[in-house]
Amino acid sequence: MSLALLAPFGLAALAALAIPIAIHLVRRIELQTTEFAALRWIAERIRPRRRLRFERPWLLLLRLALLALVALLLAKPIIDEPAIAAHSRVLVAPGADLSAARAAVSIAGAEWRWLAPGFPSIESPVPSASAPIASLMREADADLPRDAKLAIVVPGQLAGLDGERPLLAHEIEWHVVPGRMSDEAGATSAKLALAVRYVPASAPALKYLGAAAAALEADGSAHFALDVATQDAALPDANTALLWLGSEPSPAVRTWIESGGTAIADHASRATGAPVWRDAEGHVLARVEPLGRGRLVTLESALLPQTMPALLDAEFPRYLLALVQGEPPAPTRAPASALTPAHEHSVSTTPTASRAMPKPLDMWLIFAIATLILVERIVATRSEARA
Amino acid sequence: MPAVPLIPADVRARLKNLRLRARHGAGGDGLGQHQSRSRGAGLEFAQYRAYEPGDEPRRIDWKLYARSDRFFVRESERDSPLTLWLVIDASASMVQADAARRDWRKLDAAKTLAACAIELALRQGDRFGLVTLGASGPKLVAADAGARHRDRCMLELDRIDAAGEWPPEIALRPLWERVRASALVLVLSDFFDDAPVDLALRFAAARREVLTVQMLGADERDFPFAGGHRFVDPEGGAERRVEAGAVRDDFLARFASARANLARRFAAAGIRHAEYFLDTPPDRPLAQFFGAAERSAA
Repeated sequence: MSLALLAPFGLAALAALAIPIAIHLVRRIELQTTEFAALRWIAERIRPRRRLRFERPWLLLLRLALLALVALLLAKPIIDEPAIAAHSRVLVAPGADLSAARAAVSIAGAEWRWLAPGFPSIESPVPSASAPIASLMREADADLPRDAKLAIVVPGQLAGLDGERPLLAHEIEWHVVPGRMSDEAGATSAKLALAVRYVPASAPALKYLGAAAAALEADGSAHFALDVATQDAALPDANTALLWLGSEPSPAVRTWIESGGTAIADHASRATGAPVWRDAEGHVLARVEPLGRGRLVTLESALLPQTMPALLDAEFPRYLLALVQGEPPAPTRAPASALTPAHEHSVSTTPTASRAMPKPLDMWLIFAIATLILVERIVATRSEARA
Repeated sequence: MPAVPLIPADVRARLKNLRLRARHGAGGDGLGQHQSRSRGAGLEFAQYRAYEPGDEPRRIDWKLYARSDRFFVRESERDSPLTLWLVIDASASMVQADAARRDWRKLDAAKTLAACAIELALRQGDRFGLVTLGASGPKLVAADAGARHRDRCMLELDRIDAAGEWPPEIALRPLWERVRASALVLVLSDFFDDAPVDLALRFAAARREVLTVQMLGADERDFPFAGGHRFVDPEGGAERRVEAGAVRDDFLARFASARANLARRFAAAGIRHAEYFLDTPPDRPLAQFFGAAERSAA
């Protein structure tokens, strides 16, 4: 439970405290008049002291408190009470063996939940939807108070990752139990449509391309829909990658690229763009440059075995896939043992230390201010009447 | 009659032990209780003197005539009544009272003291007169004896209010006609001004027996003030703004020395002097003058 100010500069209004102080400050010599016949023997050299005195100190205190509250109101205080008590929590990723998890985790009194959106209780049925596990871990980490323990039970193979190792503020107890995540998302292989438009001179490349597509098909990592035609055939739709072999891309092709397509061309008069493919010696084999909303990959030389030996390389299908797909997607699957979340002290959890909504104190303050105004008026008028 | 009697009962009870005494013989006429310088028929032998024509023959000491062949007249001391003059300072400074007891002013104490002295004089058959010196000049009640005169004086005492200043010198002239030599003069004043002191000294120098009582407040003796004070002189209206706590020691020292100085001057003039403080019984100065201790010392 802590108090925070949304607008700390509102406290500058505290300077207004000087006003009632100045009003109430009585700086005068207080003299008591006494009849005294023997005053000729009183030395006059000692003048009466000036005394700093506050008139009606209780009224002054009231007014000061009133102003302080108004200043506090201007500073917009919020109070946040952690709704989640600082107790430990065990999160079980769907797919993990629950009995093995119970055996592995030995935190007494911990709260068991599924590592799934909304963190449902462990009693609820196993959430089937596979979700971004890393993101959920981060969310759980941020939700939990800093001093709470967090244990995560995962199956041996993790899916739904996002390419970055989770960096968590808590010291995580990382338990790997047998099990398997049902991850359709990770298992979906890239489904690619590739349209090849060639000049007859480039025809020899076709069989290598077909072989590459078959290899990728066999590997299961991609499924190619090849559409092979000569260059006078119509251009495919924008979702299909275009392999333009044998000549410079015509203006029609460029227009097609600019409207969002991806094209690979092997005849380039000028080599521009960033290198995306290098051979073993480090020579640049392909460059990529953005063109409009699309991408133009330019091969350094014609896609023929004699000019581009890499065409015969076993790795060529993978490179082709990479060229077509652009940036490879981040790995979403990893063995759980390799993914122990890093512990990072510097990860700030303070703003989101608890999910409980910080409560603004405005209503209470306004109520207190109204009460104080009332009391102040009563005190002021009463002491005036008395005076 | 005043609502509060001038003489409280306990004071009146203590007056029984007191007796007015003059240091020198009284010089008045008539019969009284005091030794007198006047000679005449009496019990106590005083002197022989040569016969003068007109002396009663029965006062001639015939045995002495037989021895010396001359006429001598045997004279005795005559006891005479005393004349007591009460001189009350009714200037504005006498309205001062202590902070602790606002209704007991110096003037009230002086009135009570005067009433006590009148009671003493009445009891002894002495004559007494009253002089009030205030704003309206001296007010005189001529010296006389008797209970009716006592009532007259009490009425006058009740009428006195302190205001104004000490009357000028010229206004005091009638006093010298009334207050005869060898009268007992009791001056009740605060003696802060020189004028009352002068009057007392001149009375003493002119063979009046002067008793002085300096009427002082307990506040003047103790100076119990603290903090900023504005002291106002009731007489003249002078004021002094001081930090009371800081000037206390200085005031006490200076005031004590002033009082000692006054006592010294009075003693040098043969004046019996007493100080009266407002928080002490009002008959104390009288006890000091006329009490048993004084009588045995005299």
